[in-house]
Amino acid sequence: MKNVKNLFRHWEFFLVVFLILEFVVFGAANPKFLRPASIMTSLVNYISVCIIALFVTLVMITGGIDIQAASIIGLTSIVEGYLWSDLGVNIWVAVASALVVAVLCGALSGFFIAYCGVQPMVVTLGGSFLYSGLALLVSGLSATPAYQGISGFPSKDAVGAFHGFRFLGKGVILGVPTQIIVYLVLIALCAWLLHRSKYGEKLYLIGVNAQAAEYSGINTRAVIMSTYVLSAFSAAIAGTLLTANVDSAKYNLGAGYTLAIITAVVLGGTLNTGGKGSILGTVLASLIICILRYGLPLCFGVSTQNLDLPIGVILVLVVLGREIAGQRMISALFKRVKRK
Amino acid sequence: MANETTGQAAQYTLSVKNITKSFGTNAVLKGISMDLTAGEVLVLIGGNGAGKSTLMKIIMGIYQPDSGEISVSGRSVNMTKPSVALAEGIYMVPQEPMLFPNMTVEENILIGFKESPIELKRRLAKHIKELGFKLNLQRKANTLSIAEQQLVEILRGMMREAKILILDEPTSALTFGEVQSLFKVVEDLKAKGISMIYITHRLTEVFEIATDVAIMKDGVITLSGPVGNFTKEMLIQGLLPTDAEMHQAEKKSYVPVDYEHLQPIMEVTNLSGYGFSDISFKLYPGEILGIAGVVGAGRTELISTIFGRDKVLGGKVVLDGKDITGHSTSSVLREGLNFVPEDRHYHGLFKIRSISSNTTSALLGTNEIGKFDMNRKKQNAIAQKYVDDFRTKIVSLEDLIGSLSGGNQQKVVIARSLSTAPKVVILDEPTRGIDAAARGDVYNIIHQLKDAGVAVLMVSSDIEEVVELADRAITVFQGRINGEFRHDEITQDALTSASFGIMGEKEAAV
Amino acid sequence: MKSILKARWISSFVFLLLLFLITGIVDPTFLTYSSIISCFNNATMYTLLAIGIAFVIMTGEIDVSIGSTLGLAAAMTGLIAKAGGGIPRMIVTVLLIGALIGFVNGLGVAWFGVPSLIFTLGTNGVVRGLIYIVSDGRTVENFTGGGLGSFSNQVLFAEITVYYAITLLVFIAAHLIVTRTKKGKYFIAVGDNPNGANLVGISVFRTKLVAYVLCGAFAGIAGFVFASKYGQVMISAGNGYEMTAIAACVLGGISLSGGLGNMVGAALGAVIMASISRLLVYIGLPSTYDNTITGVMLIVIVVIDALAQRRSIEMARRKRLLSRTARQTEEGASKA
Repeated sequence: MKNVKNLFRHWEFFLVVFLILEFVVFGAANPKFLRPASIMTSLVNYISVCIIALFVTLVMITGGIDIQAASIIGLTSIVEGYLWSDLGVNIWVAVASALVVAVLCGALSGFFIAYCGVQPMVVTLGGSFLYSGLALLVSGLSATPAYQGISGFPSKDAVGAFHGFRFLGKGVILGVPTQIIVYLVLIALCAWLLHRSKYGEKLYLIGVNAQAAEYSGINTRAVIMSTYVLSAFSAAIAGTLLTANVDSAKYNLGAGYTLAIITAVVLGGTLNTGGKGSILGTVLASLIICILRYGLPLCFGVSTQNLDLPIGVILVLVVLGREIAGQRMISALFKRVKRK
Repeated sequence: MANETTGQAAQYTLSVKNITKSFGTNAVLKGISMDLTAGEVLVLIGGNGAGKSTLMKIIMGIYQPDSGEISVSGRSVNMTKPSVALAEGIYMVPQEPMLFPNMTVEENILIGFKESPIELKRRLAKHIKELGFKLNLQRKANTLSIAEQQLVEILRGMMREAKILILDEPTSALTFGEVQSLFKVVEDLKAKGISMIYITHRLTEVFEIATDVAIMKDGVITLSGPVGNFTKEMLIQGLLPTDAEMHQAEKKSYVPVDYEHLQPIMEVTNLSGYGFSDISFKLYPGEILGIAGVVGAGRTELISTIFGRDKVLGGKVVLDGKDITGHSTSSVLREGLNFVPEDRHYHGLFKIRSISSNTTSALLGTNEIGKFDMNRKKQNAIAQKYVDDFRTKIVSLEDLIGSLSGGNQQKVVIARSLSTAPKVVILDEPTRGIDAAARGDVYNIIHQLKDAGVAVLMVSSDIEEVVELADRAITVFQGRINGEFRHDEITQDALTSASFGIMGEKEAAV
Repeated sequence: MKSILKARWISSFVFLLLLFLITGIVDPTFLTYSSIISCFNNATMYTLLAIGIAFVIMTGEIDVSIGSTLGLAAAMTGLIAKAGGGIPRMIVTVLLIGALIGFVNGLGVAWFGVPSLIFTLGTNGVVRGLIYIVSDGRTVENFTGGGLGSFSNQVLFAEITVYYAITLLVFIAAHLIVTRTKKGKYFIAVGDNPNGANLVGISVFRTKLVAYVLCGAFAGIAGFVFASKYGQVMISAGNGYEMTAIAACVLGGISLSGGLGNMVGAALGAVIMASISRLLVYIGLPSTYDNTITGVMLIVIVVIDALAQRRSIEMARRKRLLSRTARQTEEGASKA
């Protein structure tokens, strides 16, 4: 009995119910919706947001925020394209270099946040300008015009199957796209980091009370900085997958993902003041948004250009509902009404 | 006091009747009634969690009562929000002053008024003169000391022509001199016919300023009346828990520490830092060294500097033969020193984490609870051990620590500091803000530590506490050691006079 | 002590002067009245957005929905113009739209207590969707009728456009409200210490609600300016403008944790943000350096500011602590 009650207390429970509801409603409206291949494709289309949201969850649990990750997608992509296409570097070396660049970007912002005590929102806002600006500059070095995007990455072998770099974006292993497998691996990694490892415990403690964490001998600065490095790293992975998928290295890939990433993390139940949240919640919330984006156009003819509206509505309703339920708000509400 | 006739009610400046208030299932106030006449100083005493602050917040309109009535000068008033209370002439000086840190003193005092600024400034100048404050009005609030902030709060109350002033533990952060000037202000206000509710933990203050006194316990007023009707002993009796399960520290016969055959475990030599200077002392295993002094004497700065929280300006700290001067907190922890901070909420607790997490947070730098993976079993086992040892009242180890009472929270914080098996434990105000029963338990824990051969360095502003526990004591006055006392020299008088910088002959004996 | 507060916007003023000077040194042709004044004229939209959001940021909250609000207001302006409506009707409409969105944001944040970033993230999506609905998914264009287009370029005097003149008036009003009026100081007070504000009878709820309504209304007017300036409104109009406005406030010394800053800073920050690409052209760098320079500038300024602030607080604390021990030494000396 107590377990059932506990279940209701968990935010993840409501997310699961919501996700199931989506499948039921969309499935009933249009049976085509339930084709696994289409569902997986929809997930692949949204994978950058899903992946980065995992790691931004870590950042937000420490009480920070990261609005620069999306700009690192484009930076990674264009660095890979430029190194490979214009400098003739081996594609894997190019990928590794791009990952290093991303890690440096994350470390730079993380350093300012953790060691100089600047507000994370401000630093990563600056970072989002800086790294997208750098991406454009790198793009300017390339012979390919910025708006065009560098393409023609090594792709098919003699048989015509995807291999090499493009396998990352287009490949299929046992019927599952490579991208989804990468996502699953990253989910497992993140879940372990946050919920099983001592590192995760430190993240929570810092988010709840950074001062007390210092008094417990935790090096809060290093830990906080590391979360920004990790989220930048994840953005680089997302950028690489995206480049490999669309066969185009462009400086502005991922532009406009910022709010989507934050939405996924917040909808997943992570407290933006830190100290609370889970990987499962973020994954479920990412899936909910992803399925919504896939199902609404397919089943109800909603224009793909106008998906911000339903997602916005859901976010607003969900956070309001959570706040009302969470704070015994109903009674307070009555009192306030009476007062007016 | 509890006179029910309406004719008499009119002469009370403030009268509350049968106030009840519950948070969830927890009944905090169980029918409180009290009345206040003009010029009355009602001192309200009671343990933590007695409901004093809740009652004051209800009077201020910050909380709404579940039932009951508040009337001001005989009129029933529905205190829906602070602005209603302010309009009725009630002003509360909160325990922690609520100033706007980025505004000037003047802006802080004058904000929220409707009158013209010129008129306001004139009145403010008048009040400042009346009270004899010396305050630069253009200073920013974040540069003020706590005492100065409280003066600003009192001025705010004066500016609002408050008829009823609530002072919530105003002296808890004040130095001796500041307390005296505050008392003078209270006397002045009393003479002007202003009623005051004065909350305090310090019994001596009752007889200095009160006209009336009331004791609150567990949501009810158990004792009240004019101060002349009571003696200090009667108040102490009134405050003690009545239930039999009170754990008082057993008065063991004192076992003297054998200093002759002991090597000091920690040696502090000529240590200087921000807020203290030229501090030297030795700490032996199995002893409790008390550091007495008034708030602001530099004791907290001294020990948090040893703990790696601030810069060392000179001198040396040697722990068990190793120089740890200026080491980081994590390194100091590794070398075998741990710390129970004074401010439980800011430096001690992870409120929305479990009791287990809180207990083992200092072990994250060791391999005690796993190398990379968290060993939850081990974690819970350690937490459970301390819960059993310390008789901490909990339902489950998974419960959030924020749900525990202050005393039990403190036990968990102490458990955390012991979890690293330290050779030296520093306790800063270990019993601040916890009730008598929990206090007894904490004393027992300290005795156990001593018996186990741990060196205990205890900072306390509660002189009785130092007298009861310490094997040796030093007093710190204005950042320097000004007295050192052997066990047989530790008396309340000696420590008090040294704490306030009054040197006795004792000093010569050291 | 007020000097610290002043210093924050003065430093952004000095910074703006430096930018102009450096540009002038590289290319002296920049140092003419008209090119400098055009920097200000061009900043109209950002100035309005920055002043609006400054109200919200001062109270310690944030609003990321202003970009969409601008877009919706711009789209509505275009639609009204196409339908032959006059400018007064447009202005009333954009003000109402903005105020209404601000009102909803204020309710969600101040009454229901939803963290502001999250709530306005949600309304941002909703409003962006509304643009799609009102414009039927198409770019709103060909609406230069009704005098809208010519209005945008009208010069009032001394090369100052009508828009910037109006913006200036609005700015002065906003500045006076925040610094001179009793209620205006509530914005800063609420951001500085919400509990303390509550205790002296300031309604935190009402103050934040008003801040959001103002913020929305300002974004609405900015939308009107957008429509008349560009003559076409895409569905994505105003996307990302919220970040530019926030950056402008930060550059102008308004602290994102609330309780610190003033309108002069916001307006100057907006001019800096709007001028960078123009200045780059004079310096001879392609506009592709735009974001990089903005990012570097933003980070450098906030890091220096944070370090300086931390240092001054730390120095004050240390001085206070040191004076305690010093006092005793003096007393000891005088006794001896």
